[in-house]
Amino acid sequence: MKNLMKLSVLGLLVVFLFTSCAKQPTQQIDEAKAAISAVEAAGGNIYAKEELKKLNDDFNAAMDEVNAQSKKLFKKYGQAKEMLAKVKADAEAVKELIPARKEEAKNNALSAQEEAKAAFEEAKALLEKAPKGKGTKADIEAMKADLAGLEAQLAEVQAAIDQEDYFGAKEKAVSIKEKANAIAEQVKAAIEKVKGRK
Amino acid sequence: MKLKAVGSALALLSLYSLIFIGQSCQTPPAPPEVQEALSQEQDLWRAGASFFAPKEYEAYRQHLAEARKFFQQEELKIGYFRNYVKVRQKFRQVIDEGNSLKNLVETRKTQAAGEIRSLKNRLYERYQIFNSFSLELTMRNFSRQHLAQADVMFKEIDRLLAQEKYDLAREKLKAVENLLNQAENILRRQVERYMDPDQVAAWKRLAEKAVKKSEETGSLLILVSKLERRLTIYKNGKPVKTYEIGLGFNGLADKLHAGDDATPEGEYKVIKKVATSKYGKALLINYPNEEDLKKFNEARKKGIITERTKIGGLIEIHGGGKDGLTQGCVALDNSDMEELFRKIPVGTPVVIVGTTNLNNKIVSVFQDDKKAEKK
Repeated sequence: MKNLMKLSVLGLLVVFLFTSCAKQPTQQIDEAKAAISAVEAAGGNIYAKEELKKLNDDFNAAMDEVNAQSKKLFKKYGQAKEMLAKVKADAEAVKELIPARKEEAKNNALSAQEEAKAAFEEAKALLEKAPKGKGTKADIEAMKADLAGLEAQLAEVQAAIDQEDYFGAKEKAVSIKEKANAIAEQVKAAIEKVKGRK
Repeated sequence: MKLKAVGSALALLSLYSLIFIGQSCQTPPAPPEVQEALSQEQDLWRAGASFFAPKEYEAYRQHLAEARKFFQQEELKIGYFRNYVKVRQKFRQVIDEGNSLKNLVETRKTQAAGEIRSLKNRLYERYQIFNSFSLELTMRNFSRQHLAQADVMFKEIDRLLAQEKYDLAREKLKAVENLLNQAENILRRQVERYMDPDQVAAWKRLAEKAVKKSEETGSLLILVSKLERRLTIYKNGKPVKTYEIGLGFNGLADKLHAGDDATPEGEYKVIKKVATSKYGKALLINYPNEEDLKKFNEARKKGIITERTKIGGLIEIHGGGKDGLTQGCVALDNSDMEELFRKIPVGTPVVIVGTTNLNNKIVSVFQDDKKAEKK
């Protein structure tokens, strides 16, 4: 009877040792999560969409492994730990990529803004030079109002840049440039109209 | 000898056993469906499945996760005991589901793009109506500022549609709609008299009275219809010649005071023929008449205009070109003015009205706009 008791205690001890030695890798999980959050905070949703998706997929796969092991009697979290460590390392690498991409987007937006401003100023200068005769006055006044509208849109480009919406700013700037060029062409046509009459 | 033969047989048997064990220990390659499904999931995500078919995409991912789990369990087995038949079946099912999902995403994307394009086209139709109308009015107003901004946004929307950024395109469309509504309000305020049936009827009565008088007296009459940009000479109550005219920035408004660039409305007469003016030949009319003075004094009493404001004068029908802008006068092309100058003597009645047409183009502009809105 005594032996049986001893054996039972020993058996329980062995089971306890096997199960308690393999604890869930909570620290690694937290670290991987934090690394992914850092990518998101750095603008990963905008500048590293694909990479962020992969990170989340890999993290989910690692968590699947953690969950699968947690249901086993003899838990082995070695593989899950490796997976989580890789997620963390990958996330850190992705985070490093973002500033350069953000800078590139910013530069693109700024250069599009400059081009839009230049096109706007060109149209404005042309309009100022245009002969304000009876035949062109109406056209010129209409184009002046159009340019005032473009000026309001140019202000929105700056607002988008200030809010770090570089892609939005670029799209708007390119559209303004197109419209400003179209107005410049109209001014030229109005000038030609007057020249033709002389 | 016998021993040698037995030895050889044993050696051969051992060799075969080793080959057998070796072969059975070899890990069979993962079925190609596994990689295919994983790539498919990436493609679906890139195509926007999580946005266009979130429920279906989630279910698909769940099934993919189950298939992967099944595959991982199979991989835990010793090579010889692995059976990828079921793995392949499971992944094939996932791939089939993914293909259906891909079609669903494409369909929903096409639908979304179609809805946005149709909304955009509807708004663009409104934009075009207002754009050409605002040019026709040749008024100094803010409507064109709104319209120019709307035009910039239409260009942005086209780009967003090309990039399949439908949410952003929808947001921009709302902003465009707001700009068009503002432009419409400005335009309406400037021309609402032309949509008022009572006002149009009053103008019509004024014109008909003058034409009848011309018929009764056999005299000449100049009838100016501002909205239609038309000047017609009547003789014996019959139209004999019509000319196209130009007005000022605020030509469609009724003149109230000096500097408002509006063209007066009412009954006038030619009081002087000016052979050489800044704008070629000219016919001076008797603005302000009694009615104008009355209106002006009332406006002053009500504080609509200041004490310093003057009523103005020197309103002419002159040359210089119909596509110019006047400060309240009626302008004709020089050749037309030469002809008019020859035909019209001093004392000829001049009636200036907004329009005599109840279904005039302003009414139709805003009706068309309503139609575009309802589509």
